[in-house]
Amino acid sequence: MAEDKTNTKLRVVSSLAGAVAVRGLGHTYNTSGRVTQALADIELDIKPGRFVVIVGPSGCGKSSLLMMMTGLVAPTSGTILCGGQPMTAPDPDRVGVVFQEASLYPWLTAQDNVEFPLSLRGIPKSERAARARDKLALVGLTGFEDRYPHELSGGMKQRVSIARGLVQNPPILMLDEPFAALDEQTRISMGDELLRIWEETGKTVIFVTHSLTEAAYLADEIIVMSARPGRIIDRIEVDLPRPRTYAMMATPRFAELRERIWNQIKTQASE
Amino acid sequence: MTLDISSPAAAGRRIEPGTVRALLGLGVLVAWEVLPRAGLIPSLFLPPLSETLGALVSNWRDYGWHLLVSLRAIGVSMLIACGLGIVGGLLAGSIVSVRRIAQPLASGLYAVPFVILYPLFTAWFGIGPQAKIAFASIYGLLPCLLGTMAGVQTIDRQYVTVARSLRATRWQMISRVLLPAAIPTVLSAFRVGGALVIVGIVVAEMLTSAEGIGYLITRYRTLLDSPRVFAGILVVVALVFAFDELVKLLERRTRHWRLSTRSGESTT
Amino acid sequence: MTDAAAETGIRRQRVGGAGGLVTWAVALAVLFGTWQATLALGLMQPELLPPVGDVLATAFDLVRRPSFLGHVGVTLAEISVAFVIAVPLGVLLGIAISESPYWSQVLKPIVFLIFSIPKTIFLPMFILAFGITFGQKVGFGVFSTIFIVLISSFSALESIKSDHVRVARAYGATRSQIAWRVYLPSMAPILLEAVRLAMIFNLTGILLAEMYASRAGLGQLIANWGENFMLKELLAGILLISTAAILFNEAVRWFERKCEHWRT
Repeated sequence: MAEDKTNTKLRVVSSLAGAVAVRGLGHTYNTSGRVTQALADIELDIKPGRFVVIVGPSGCGKSSLLMMMTGLVAPTSGTILCGGQPMTAPDPDRVGVVFQEASLYPWLTAQDNVEFPLSLRGIPKSERAARARDKLALVGLTGFEDRYPHELSGGMKQRVSIARGLVQNPPILMLDEPFAALDEQTRISMGDELLRIWEETGKTVIFVTHSLTEAAYLADEIIVMSARPGRIIDRIEVDLPRPRTYAMMATPRFAELRERIWNQIKTQASE
Repeated sequence: MTLDISSPAAAGRRIEPGTVRALLGLGVLVAWEVLPRAGLIPSLFLPPLSETLGALVSNWRDYGWHLLVSLRAIGVSMLIACGLGIVGGLLAGSIVSVRRIAQPLASGLYAVPFVILYPLFTAWFGIGPQAKIAFASIYGLLPCLLGTMAGVQTIDRQYVTVARSLRATRWQMISRVLLPAAIPTVLSAFRVGGALVIVGIVVAEMLTSAEGIGYLITRYRTLLDSPRVFAGILVVVALVFAFDELVKLLERRTRHWRLSTRSGESTT
Repeated sequence: MTDAAAETGIRRQRVGGAGGLVTWAVALAVLFGTWQATLALGLMQPELLPPVGDVLATAFDLVRRPSFLGHVGVTLAEISVAFVIAVPLGVLLGIAISESPYWSQVLKPIVFLIFSIPKTIFLPMFILAFGITFGQKVGFGVFSTIFIVLISSFSALESIKSDHVRVARAYGATRSQIAWRVYLPSMAPILLEAVRLAMIFNLTGILLAEMYASRAGLGQLIANWGENFMLKELLAGILLISTAAILFNEAVRWFERKCEHWRT
């Protein structure tokens, strides 16, 4: 549970709005007549303001699960509730999404990209600009508002993508392997950045990754998934103190966590 | 690109695309015969297929003779255009400075319709074959040259480095490394240049000439002899397809060459 | 690119503008130089190759002659009408075909096949059918142009990244918003190139049609001058048409370069 800190920044109220629940979710799909079960018996209860990481072997369906939680894809069975309301379609006021590929529009500047969700709603330019600049400042990109994506590094592009996900102030932020395409050093610094943003804003964060290190480093709670059909095989409370530091990665407790996750996944991956 | 993901189950019930195309083709042929005969399309516009083919068959000597004339001109032009174009392209392509100057110029010149220069050629060379050949040769030369130059760039730099480390001379570099590695590019440039040469000769014959298949088509047009005009057009279309098949055959024959080069991989 | 490189804002702009102009100036100088040299060396008779000065003077004279301008008007009208019909029609058809994966598979190979056949050989057919009229030339122009537009549209649609569409959906965009805010900018670079290529095919088709059989138009003038050995006018006409064509082409290229970084 995120510790209450005296903080001068405004925090999103940790109310029911940030709660995420998944009930009895299963998903099957069929290609050329063959039916495959992608996910089975997924139950999740995520309290507001928590940082939850979903980790699992490749192809276990964790990204698909996240896509369903964002409302982009409908599961074949079960329900997803965000803030107590079912997620049947994307709702950026409730859930902000950050994808693996930053997917910024190359014809828009960084600021325009962050403004994009607001411009879809017809919000006037002056208000959009102010909110976008505010979020870009939050992710540490003041001064880069007028840069085009091709002028930004990979890490910077992801930061813009995060700012875009935050611009409508949703209580929940979901990220699908956002740092997978970045080099190792950038991954580490981006992880710290994300934790800082999380602590400043107090949102519920659901983060999908295949990196055990990232999972142990970032999370309050780790959800471990099995290989296809994806099931939840373990839930691990991470009791490392916050703020997390790089030095913690050398502690025995950290190694234990990683090993626990790895043991679960190892048996899965070999099947 | 489409957002819809049609259900896989439906895909099985549809007809194979290839079959639909064949059916469409058949439909076109049937319509070609039936609609003009039924008077739904004036036969001046589109004579029935049978009449067209009949005209072709009954006049085969005429068509044959003029086609040979054209083929001779095409052959000579191709030799010049593609020969010079490919050799020049290989040479120039390996020199970076030439490439950097030539390419923007050439892409700019591409905007100019080359046909407007044909009257110049007839003024200079008269109405005989020389005007046609000069015109078509230059018409086909430029794309051949540019295509080869561009293709030389795609050749794996490693080949050149290896040859250089073995102290190959410039001539050896060109003949033993660049040329074989450039075959896919060369064939591609040949295809483009050759097609343009064919078009160049036929168009030149249509405009101002005394013989050749293009001239024949124009003569029949002035006589308002639709079936013969169409028959002539069919002959030219057949010629274009035949050339294309020839190049495809060459490409198949040099397949193993192509697959072992990076440029070959990108074109297969 | 590392953060550092981006932060110091290093991104060398390609020296397109100034460098390009110099190349053209040099090329022009080489052309005129060789031209005059050929005359000076006696390799060609002045009747067949008038001096550069004479030709340029004729060109200046032509553009002030009302009869010449009349023909220019006719050609421009034909080009514009054909263009305005062929491009939107081609883009709409291209979108319509691409929207259905099934019909894409069926029809695209046919389009490519027809594209590989040179359209110029069908000109006599147009004349037989429609006579020698304004409409016939426009029709032939459209016929010559529409296939390259179709093919470019296919390419433009294929260039739209599904990731970009997914992001828009994740942020609640409606279908129409996705079409205008994602599809259109994604397709812009290729569509601009399509416009450029379309004009090239269009101009070629229409000038050819005018040269082949016409009562008016620049092509007809050119053919006439050639037949009557009016070399000064012929060369002047060629220079004028070439200049106009190249200028249009470079102008569109300039726009293309501006959008270059939009390419996905």
